[in-house]
Amino acid sequence: MADSPDEIRKKTKTYLAVGAVLFAGTLLTVGVASLEALDIGGHGFDSADCILGLLIASIKASLVAAIFMHLNHEKKAIYWIFFGSFIFVFFLAWLLKLAHDSPLHDQFFYR
Amino acid sequence: MEIPFVVTPRKDTGLTNSKIAIWLFLASEVMLFGGFFSAYVYLRVGSSDPVGGYPWPERALPILPGLINTFILIASSVTVVFAWAALKLRQWGKFQAFMGFTVLCAFVFLGLKGIEYNVKFHHQALRTVDGAVIEGHLGYEKKEGVDPHAEAKEEDFVLNHHGKKVEENRINVQATGLTFSTVRFHKDWVEEILSEAKQHQSKITLASNLELVLEPGGEKKPVLPAGTELSTEVLAKVADLHLKARANNADVRTEALRNAWKVAHATYPSKRDWEISEKVAIDPKELEGKLLTEASSLTFKVDPPVKLTFAPRDVKAGPAQSRLRDDTVIDGTLLESPMVFHAVDALDFRHLAMKAINKGLDPMAEVEKSWVLANSPQLREIWEWHKGEIAKLEERLKQDYEMKGKAKREPTFTERYRVEWKDFAAKAENKPRTEREGVIKFKEQFMGPNYDARAAAHTFPHLEVPRDQIAFDSKFTPAWNPFYAIYFTITGLHGLHVIGGALVLGYYLFRGKKMYLSNPEWLANRVEVGGLFWHFVDLVWIFLFPLLYLM
Repeated sequence: MADSPDEIRKKTKTYLAVGAVLFAGTLLTVGVASLEALDIGGHGFDSADCILGLLIASIKASLVAAIFMHLNHEKKAIYWIFFGSFIFVFFLAWLLKLAHDSPLHDQFFYR
Repeated sequence: MEIPFVVTPRKDTGLTNSKIAIWLFLASEVMLFGGFFSAYVYLRVGSSDPVGGYPWPERALPILPGLINTFILIASSVTVVFAWAALKLRQWGKFQAFMGFTVLCAFVFLGLKGIEYNVKFHHQALRTVDGAVIEGHLGYEKKEGVDPHAEAKEEDFVLNHHGKKVEENRINVQATGLTFSTVRFHKDWVEEILSEAKQHQSKITLASNLELVLEPGGEKKPVLPAGTELSTEVLAKVADLHLKARANNADVRTEALRNAWKVAHATYPSKRDWEISEKVAIDPKELEGKLLTEASSLTFKVDPPVKLTFAPRDVKAGPAQSRLRDDTVIDGTLLESPMVFHAVDALDFRHLAMKAINKGLDPMAEVEKSWVLANSPQLREIWEWHKGEIAKLEERLKQDYEMKGKAKREPTFTERYRVEWKDFAAKAENKPRTEREGVIKFKEQFMGPNYDARAAAHTFPHLEVPRDQIAFDSKFTPAWNPFYAIYFTITGLHGLHVIGGALVLGYYLFRGKKMYLSNPEWLANRVEVGGLFWHFVDLVWIFLFPLLYLM
């Protein structure tokens, strides 16, 4: 669907708002990693803080993809093309995991 | 003829050609970066392996440059979409402003990245034989007779034949003789050797007369007399003669071998080649008088013997003879060749502690026995201060748990065994470890510690590490450890994408006016597609920043 000039004029405020959210999200990510006050569980920087940081990054990435890249109102073909690639990335990572868990890995690694 | 579907979308998909194409390309980019992110995960997971593991440099990078770069890319993402919107609204001036800002952001990003890389490439690290890691900056070679501990002036430093200062990380050889490969000699190294010899009033001359057979059937003729001074021109001249001789001799031997096979085929007509190959040999009489003298090497004597210095990566040193990577052989005694740190700014005993734990030993006791603590009173003092600060931290965490109801936490492995430059600075300023973030100046967030400003307080000690104590050394480059390997690979690849994106967007900015006047909707579609690539570059950085800098 082609964006008409009127629709584009309405969206400029949204773009600015998303930009502000991205800035705030970045500061929050740094805060979670550095500040004791934002440390989940108070155990120091651990896996829980890592997961929270990556969750914030995922939300930021989703906003960029949905709003700036117009994925929130794209055609089906684009969804198939783009999100289909993640399936292949999943298999790529799975291959690495198989190699890491393989008995051959132990034989060569632990010499 | 107008290209179909560049402005009007296709009826079946509802998309223009460029839209489908860019999303296909971005799908391939997801695969590319997905592969590298997966590699990062497995390298990091693998580093915690109990047997083959090593301490992963978690949170080793300064956060501020990465944070500023993140803001720059986010801002550029906003302005690129505004640039596209301005084109759709036919506002050329606004398009230029927003797109110009986007391209400017790209160059600022690359500039900051360049500064980050440059700081790392000048930062030295080494791992001693016992597993301790020392990080810092090397000093520069000073001329003989200059006090090594006094504040040096520019004229006190040794300069190489390019006029540059030489780092104090050299292999020193008292050379009495040099044998050069005439074909493989490296011109720059020969000039450096000549420069060092000249500085010490030493002469490098041919050890014996060079006589060669230059024509088939000819006699040996004098080419160079003994005592000829070394120069790259001399080596090049002999190389030329050698290569001609080698080509001639190859032709002669090939011809002789052909004849030998003819004889063999005639003698054993019914036999196959592989059955008679052992009986085929070149008849030496066929070669008589046809071969020229090959001069693959030239030997020179150094009188008086002179100290020559080489970069460790260029030389394989031995007690009486050393060899350079260009096959130059240096006869002479290997001298003391320490690596000299002008300023040590980090001590890391994590690897040493990990190896001790694997062997069932007390890691702290093994750390106390390390070479660096035994041989540097200043680093021993810093280590004792650090142990005291960690004891205070343990006490505070215990009180937080027992009296304030906070979660139970011990000092981490990194806190216990790694002393960073901020700790060195806090100690020098008599501040506790808890205030170490406050002792860093803004510029130091980007450029690392200001060694000159902190020299008065003796913040960073001087240290000479003998060559036999060094197990591995490197600058902070991909060679140092897998973290830096993946860091430079993935951020370098990302940086190349930033350059590519900036070039495309810059093209639309500076050359787009003609298309804007003839077909503005087509230009808007192209800018949208370029913007999609730019957003993807921003997307990758959104994940890269926390992964590499914060975790």
